[in-house]
Amino acid sequence: MVFNSLTFVVFFAGVLALHSMPLRWTTRKINLLIASYIFYTAWNPPFVILLWISTVVDWYAAQGMVKARRETARHAWMVLSVVANLGMLGYFKYGQFLLDNFTALMAALGVAWQPPHSDIVLPVGISFYTFATMAYTLDVYLRRAQPARNFLDYALFVTFFPHLVAGPIMRPTELVPQFEQPRRASADQLRFGLALMTLGLFNKIVLADSLLAPIAEKVYDAGKIPGALDAWAATLAFSGQIFCDFAGYSTTAIGAAMCLGFAMPDNFRFPYAAIGFSDFWRRWHITLSAWLRDYLYIPLGGNRHSAQRTYAALMTTMLLGGLWHGANWTFVVWGGLHGLYLAVERVLRARFRGYKPGPLALIAFGLLTYALVNITWVFFRAKTFGTAWTVLGGMFGAHAAAEPILSTFYLVCVAAIVGGLVVTHWFMRARTLEGVVARVHPAAICAVWGFLAFAIVIAQGEGSAFIYFQF
Amino acid sequence: MRTGEHSADEQARYLRRGDYARVTAADRPGVAQPVPLREVPVQPWGRILLGACVLFVVLIGAWEWHWRAFGAVPDYYNSNAEWAQQRRRIDNGEGNKTVLIGSSRTLFDVQLPVWERQMGERPIQLAMEGTSPLPVMEDLAADSNFSGHLLVGVSSDLFFSGFAYRGDVVPYFHKQTPSQRAGNWLSRTLIEPWFAFFDSDFALAAVLKRQDWPTRHGLPDRLDVRKLSVSEADRNTYVWDKLVNDADYRALAQHIWAQHLDGPPPPSLNTPEKLQKTIDTQIQRAVDALAKLRARGVQVLFVRQPNAAHYLEFDNKVFPRAKTWDVLLARTGAPGIHFEDYPELRGFDPPEWSHLKRADAETYTAALCRIIARDVWHPDRARMADSPH
Repeated sequence: MVFNSLTFVVFFAGVLALHSMPLRWTTRKINLLIASYIFYTAWNPPFVILLWISTVVDWYAAQGMVKARRETARHAWMVLSVVANLGMLGYFKYGQFLLDNFTALMAALGVAWQPPHSDIVLPVGISFYTFATMAYTLDVYLRRAQPARNFLDYALFVTFFPHLVAGPIMRPTELVPQFEQPRRASADQLRFGLALMTLGLFNKIVLADSLLAPIAEKVYDAGKIPGALDAWAATLAFSGQIFCDFAGYSTTAIGAAMCLGFAMPDNFRFPYAAIGFSDFWRRWHITLSAWLRDYLYIPLGGNRHSAQRTYAALMTTMLLGGLWHGANWTFVVWGGLHGLYLAVERVLRARFRGYKPGPLALIAFGLLTYALVNITWVFFRAKTFGTAWTVLGGMFGAHAAAEPILSTFYLVCVAAIVGGLVVTHWFMRARTLEGVVARVHPAAICAVWGFLAFAIVIAQGEGSAFIYFQF
Repeated sequence: MRTGEHSADEQARYLRRGDYARVTAADRPGVAQPVPLREVPVQPWGRILLGACVLFVVLIGAWEWHWRAFGAVPDYYNSNAEWAQQRRRIDNGEGNKTVLIGSSRTLFDVQLPVWERQMGERPIQLAMEGTSPLPVMEDLAADSNFSGHLLVGVSSDLFFSGFAYRGDVVPYFHKQTPSQRAGNWLSRTLIEPWFAFFDSDFALAAVLKRQDWPTRHGLPDRLDVRKLSVSEADRNTYVWDKLVNDADYRALAQHIWAQHLDGPPPPSLNTPEKLQKTIDTQIQRAVDALAKLRARGVQVLFVRQPNAAHYLEFDNKVFPRAKTWDVLLARTGAPGIHFEDYPELRGFDPPEWSHLKRADAETYTAALCRIIARDVWHPDRARMADSPH
């Protein structure tokens, strides 16, 4: 089920009530595990089998690594885990993509081969829980962590519903220790957790779905030729939409976990105030970028070898990171552009090592970063390269005679919401939400909270899925 | 107060940092990540929550009062989930019933209680506003559970253009998740019967969008279609009283239709050749679907409901009967009831040219049932009543 649904409201109220009952800690963990399976099966019950396979394979793989006496055996258990996880991910997420590309390749070579029709359905959240369980075996393999002491704690780590389908991508060392001791949220944790959930749902339902999504749709999905204003407005709207959608999900997840007494890590750190792309990736989808760094970039050599190998590792990581987001070459280009940006930044930092930019230069670099990020969003949002080139052409003035697409209302929405978002990110770039909230007058918090909840209800969202569920 | 655990060193380190206020996995490459830090700001959260709840209740109350003063009453949301619930009846043992498909005229003008009194059976209402019935007809043609009677409403501008404003409803039905079904049940139980503001026309974005924003140069100033109807639990739907009683609102609804009717045609229909090709395509779709339905013994009836004034003029000009309706019946060989052919179906005065007011819809339904029972479907299916309703 999605967080922004009436079903979740009732489900979560039930989970909270059950979790607060005076039961044994093991019983309460079993309750959470069952609740998490209900949360997942509410989408498509048969896919829970994949979740179980992933859970069981990695549990036994980690146990096998610990018991193995030879390094080759440890290695074999790790390979088994990686192959099983990436095999499932590859089949369900990339099977059709690979088949389509193979067919196109054959056609280009003059071989008319038509594969049988396949109707593979992508299991919700498979990319997220696959990475979470792989982190478990890889941490054990890399001797960064001990395996969980019991299967229940481990299964709950994989399945815990706040992070299960769209992150934050948890590491076992972040969550498993929290299951070892009894936890119950204090009254203030429960209240602040509810406030975070309200903030997250406001971002998702009101800003992303109600106000920004239609703007991007009108330009990206209508097949029209946009002029510069429409192309930029739609792309900026998407930049706001995807942030509010995904950061909204993460905030709701963090709030839900807090209501139950658990801590989850930040997934966003006001990314549209980033200065440069290494800064951006330390602020955007932090748990994914850190995962890719720890389990892909560093094992590929990271920056410990030659410059060429560093750049190769960087590009490989970002290209695969792009592909992780979706089985489409547009996502690969999106990742490739970010890899290119990071590489260029690395070159410039080496070239201008002693340069210390002043405040105005920092703002200029920040705005340049945001503008360049928006170029990448075009490939992320467009379903085809044709659409991407059309929108990019509009953004760079190729369609001067294009008819207007977006009404004044939509342009005002973009200016107000995305402008407000960027200003907020700059104000918050070295702060935390908690730090700011601690200094605000209680009456103001009360008013904002009441208005956010009111806006969520009157927005009447229809429970549309979070963008990242498709990944 | 914290839910997480952090080392003192790390705490001190993050406090010294100027650029990031809190350490995350981004700052700890290549190591096991510790249990995260999660602070709760020091505030009187009990009083804050109470105040926020009071403010929320006051605002929701004011919002509800506003829309009730506007004339709205609680009704059922015409959502994809409501449609799917009715559609599911066919697969759950009611596949031999009469099913109504079409666009808003079939939805608003055919009154299920009247039909039930006349024909002895309450039909399943699957018409969807602004949407050609052909996707639903094709879906039913592919469903072997359906063996009943099928009434296909034909709104010329939708049927023969293939336009499907709610075209996602069929795929939604096939992919509906258990969570969505539960959500619909909760909504029907906890929200829809009680709150008038729960209507897409009163949603925040819709309200903001229709404010008096300056027109952007070069962009036609088109208004979205406003609320026209009230729905009951099984999608029995009728025209909203406000459309009948409020002259300004009625004029607004007519103005919105005029904008759509007088505007330029979409690119797919902007030449006579494209228009004819589109019409031919839609008729062929109907022919194909009907062949499958007939093979299972399903009786299909096309019905052209009444409209009037500017809307009818538009239909006659762009989708003339001789090139559309008559061809449809000839190519499919199916029976059809066109309102112009029956005196008892003529003479209604739709308030906004397109849909009948509730009393007229009841009269129209009764007359339609009598014609169907007399001329089209086997008499033993109909339990004719002598009264007009």
